[in-house]
Amino acid sequence: MALSVTVTTSTDTATINLIGELDAASAPAFHDTIEQAAAAGVTHVVIQAHELTYMASAGLRSLVFARQKMGDEVRITVAGPSAPVARTIRQAGFDRSVTLVDE
Amino acid sequence: MPSVTALLVSQERNPPPELLTALAHEDVAVEVRTPDEALEDRSSAEVLLAPAAMAPRSLREISRRLSENGPTPIVVVYAQNEFDDIEQHIRLGHDYLVPPFLPPLVRARLRSCYERAKLSHSMEEIQAQAELLSYERELKIGREIQEGFLPEGLPTLDGWDLDVRFRPARKVAGDFYDVFEMVNRRRLALVVADVCDKGVGAALFMALIRSLLRHTAEHSGLQSLMTAHQSTGADPSHVIPVVGATPLMNAVVGTNGYLTRNHSGQGYFATMFFSVLDPATGSLVYINGGHNPPLLVAREGGEPTPLEPTGPAVGVIPDCAFALGYAQLRPGDTLFVYTDGVTEARNAEGEFFGDDRVLALLREPAPSGRALLERMESALREHSGAAEQHDDITMMAVHRMAVPV
Repeated sequence: MALSVTVTTSTDTATINLIGELDAASAPAFHDTIEQAAAAGVTHVVIQAHELTYMASAGLRSLVFARQKMGDEVRITVAGPSAPVARTIRQAGFDRSVTLVDE
Repeated sequence: MPSVTALLVSQERNPPPELLTALAHEDVAVEVRTPDEALEDRSSAEVLLAPAAMAPRSLREISRRLSENGPTPIVVVYAQNEFDDIEQHIRLGHDYLVPPFLPPLVRARLRSCYERAKLSHSMEEIQAQAELLSYERELKIGREIQEGFLPEGLPTLDGWDLDVRFRPARKVAGDFYDVFEMVNRRRLALVVADVCDKGVGAALFMALIRSLLRHTAEHSGLQSLMTAHQSTGADPSHVIPVVGATPLMNAVVGTNGYLTRNHSGQGYFATMFFSVLDPATGSLVYINGGHNPPLLVAREGGEPTPLEPTGPAVGVIPDCAFALGYAQLRPGDTLFVYTDGVTEARNAEGEFFGDDRVLALLREPAPSGRALLERMESALREHSGAAEQHDDITMMAVHRMAVPV
């Protein structure tokens, strides 16, 4: 099951839309996008997760990767995650390094 | 010679008629095209024929185009009188034909080209095969070394029944478990952990994390690396030192510190359940670092009790706090510790095994650790069938035997 990654960047915000499953096979595509966003020098990264159906541990690793690429001053938001995805993030304690918002 | 397909490329579409006759005589199916047509065509051919006057670069382009739809063709140039042109092609390893284009001569020439091409294809295949074998051998060695990072056997303790299952999805795994004695053999350390991601990277971090945890736990003595948790404990009952709690805390905090100081750029972390059991009383002190909650199955059955995270996954957040959790295993109770490979096992339709199935299987009390794992294992097998296993699967059962009446 594949992952579709699209990104739109405004002056200070990169919005990354994830559709499908974020796992070991699809994480590299997400990493590339994160690097693009980091290079663009945004201050806020919004990961649109409404249509993200599954996040494996490799996907959690992608969030760690994003956190490290972005530097502390950049806010990372995961918007609208499904209950299982939100639980995966909370259980690992990563809701301390990224902000989860229900919307 | 078996029937061969050939593409003859010529700008003027005027190949020597004798050559065409000889090819037809040898049952070679020839198509004639201009270079531009050949580049646009979606055809394939085993032999690419062209006049020696044609630039090697154009030929290479056409050859690449053909190889997109079939095998890489053998390139054969022909010359009628401009024999000097042949030289540049010979240097590139192309074959050549010169007059007279008599059928037996053309046949002999093409046959030797054909044999040569076949040989070079099989050499490529053999080389690829050999590379694959060498990777496989390396991975096999990796797996054997990794097995050395798992305990050789499980200790036998009076009144306790321990069992584990460990099924890597690939040759090497990111999951691990560990069981070892601590505090002068008065306590038993029980660890189940899952390094994020899978494959070789996860396996290397598994070896590191397992070693840091065990080494620190075995050698930490009673001096705490985290004096803070003792002085700030709001609940006075938890300030009373629990034997084994200090090495446990030191192991997890020390490993988290080591990973965040030395390996933060690599983005690897582990979720883990590290517990210390007092076999005499059945009391358990633990740290759950972002791991899926182990489930405590009561001897009466019913809804199992989850042992929720007491801190984040290990190796990500520097200087974070881990709290201690406490549980009690009474005679007849069983603790089931597992990794997400269990709940995230899929069937052929892609459906997860899921938390609900795990919980349902644990509502019945278990007569032994082994019985509980066999129950889980056969349900997993039934669910997954022939579907590919995506993640490592690790399960541990710690069963306190019922006191004989």
